[in-house]
Amino acid sequence: MKALKKEHWNTNKSILININGIPKTKWIMKSIFARDKFIIRLIFIISCILIIYFVYFFIVWNVIVSLTGWEGLVQTYDFIGLENYSQMSQDYVFWTSLLNNFIFMGIFIPSSIILGLLLAIILDQKVKREGFFRLIYLLPYALSFVVTAYLWQWMFTSDGVLNILIDAIVPGTIEISWLGNRYLALVSISIAMIWQFSGYVMLVFLAGIRSVPPSIIMAARIDGASGFKLYTRIIIPQIKTSAFTAFVILMIFTLKAFDFIYLLTGGGPGYGTYILPIMMYEEAFAKNQFAYSSTIATTLLIVVMMITIPYLYITYRKRDNQK
Amino acid sequence: MTLDNMIEMINSELDNEMVFSIKNNSKTILFYKIKRTIKRVTLYVFLIIMAIIMFIPLWSGIIAAFKSQAELSLTSPLLPSLSPTLDPLTAAMNELMRPMLNSYLFTFMATIGSCLIGSICGFVLTKLKFKGSNIVFLFLIIGIFLPYQSIIIPLFITIRDLGLYDSLWGMTVVHIIYGIPITTLLFRSYYENIPDNLLNAAKVDGAGIMTIYRRIILPLSPLPFVVAAVFQFTTIWNDYLFALILTGSDFEPASFALSNLAGGTETAWNNTMAGALLYSLPIIFIFIFLGKYLMQGLIAGAIKG
Repeated sequence: MKALKKEHWNTNKSILININGIPKTKWIMKSIFARDKFIIRLIFIISCILIIYFVYFFIVWNVIVSLTGWEGLVQTYDFIGLENYSQMSQDYVFWTSLLNNFIFMGIFIPSSIILGLLLAIILDQKVKREGFFRLIYLLPYALSFVVTAYLWQWMFTSDGVLNILIDAIVPGTIEISWLGNRYLALVSISIAMIWQFSGYVMLVFLAGIRSVPPSIIMAARIDGASGFKLYTRIIIPQIKTSAFTAFVILMIFTLKAFDFIYLLTGGGPGYGTYILPIMMYEEAFAKNQFAYSSTIATTLLIVVMMITIPYLYITYRKRDNQK
Repeated sequence: MTLDNMIEMINSELDNEMVFSIKNNSKTILFYKIKRTIKRVTLYVFLIIMAIIMFIPLWSGIIAAFKSQAELSLTSPLLPSLSPTLDPLTAAMNELMRPMLNSYLFTFMATIGSCLIGSICGFVLTKLKFKGSNIVFLFLIIGIFLPYQSIIIPLFITIRDLGLYDSLWGMTVVHIIYGIPITTLLFRSYYENIPDNLLNAAKVDGAGIMTIYRRIILPLSPLPFVVAAVFQFTTIWNDYLFALILTGSDFEPASFALSNLAGGTETAWNNTMAGALLYSLPIIFIFIFLGKYLMQGLIAGAIKG
């Protein structure tokens, strides 16, 4: 890095000498630079406008649609006020989906955080081939949900890997219908998601553990803390930020998870794994209930933003204070 | 010897756990050695078991891709085929050839586009600071956490009305735009560490902003470019929601085509797994050779979905 910087110092100087050496071209160059300044700012402003349009304006648009009675393919803007919202509050499917969202959260988040933390702590013990293990654990996370959904459908089939393994451990058990049972399906999905996300959680925690100042660990060791105590008393309290980040990211993921569950169960059996994003998609693109669908989407957005905005506020205020 | 080295040395010494408690007692030393070995062995056993658990689904999928339909129903899903066949792969290849090409096209274009824009936005937000630039930044990166469901209906209408539905340009533009927040975040956090003095010196010498960007910032940023590009490539390649809503039969991306391949009345698991394998190849390739950069991107505040 140092060499790079030095090199660019030099090239830069040589250009500048040229510019200064030929006064005639100086003002021409300057005016081009002025235009260049404009170009860079212009690209920035255009991308800001795109984000304002494609994120903020669309959110407003979506809220407006949720206040209309748009049904069917032809778009209509007849305002019916909050009728969609009151319909939603009486909709059994909506509350089931929301409940499923929270059950999924309750199983998936604690398990993957505990597993991720465990993997991170164990990988932190100066193991050989740490890079290899890290890659293996993280590989599921890099794969597309489309791929992992079919992999797990295959795992969950009646004579699939999971049933075979359970049969090998406890012979004679009946075949478990992982995705066919409405109460078990959500647990099965959580198992698959824990498999996919624990590597990522591990990575977040590992980065946190590595950024604990070595002097603190050393001081604790001199005071006699070692092994288990060192982690519970010293390191885990130090990586609160990582835990917070992992928690928020997983929470937002569970709220907007769509691809995986949609491809794996399609929301079934019954409404067993119906969650808000799936309900929203089905209402809009299968039943053409666009207004009602955007009502659900708005609700989803409000829940996600209630988590996101405090998170961003805390993260960036803390960082600015540190400077 | 630097301070760091000293700390490291002391650390490694403390690691032995013997420093405090042993007074030339060979029995105690032996005891500690055995205890330590047992600890290390259980550690590795746990690591290897976890690695196997993590790998089982992938293993089962990969071997299924090389089995014939008849063999698939006869053999255990955990054991490799006795007479491996390439038929599922060729069948999947026929189905996925064109969609994969589509996916490559828009993934490459959108990756390059969003990285360039993200780099410029990151540069403006750190080195050309203006009043309220931090707030603008926060407004930009909220897009990372945005549940796409809440904008998908307006997006669908807009793309359809622009005539970009089911086309290369539609997918490219959408992925570039929704890639701006995360690439801006990645580049900004990197450019923050480039000292302002470097730019000030160039400015004093008469360099304009474009020159500074081209001659100083760009040559210093191959790392964030690789990190952002790897991250964007995986995200865009893996995307399913936009593919599902913004494309039809003319311009099928690979993720959508794969779900069609698998979603027939009776799933041919060997073909599905072969398709999934083909579709995952670029990601596995990136993961093995550029995994380090992908991890950096993931740590730098990345989010999936």
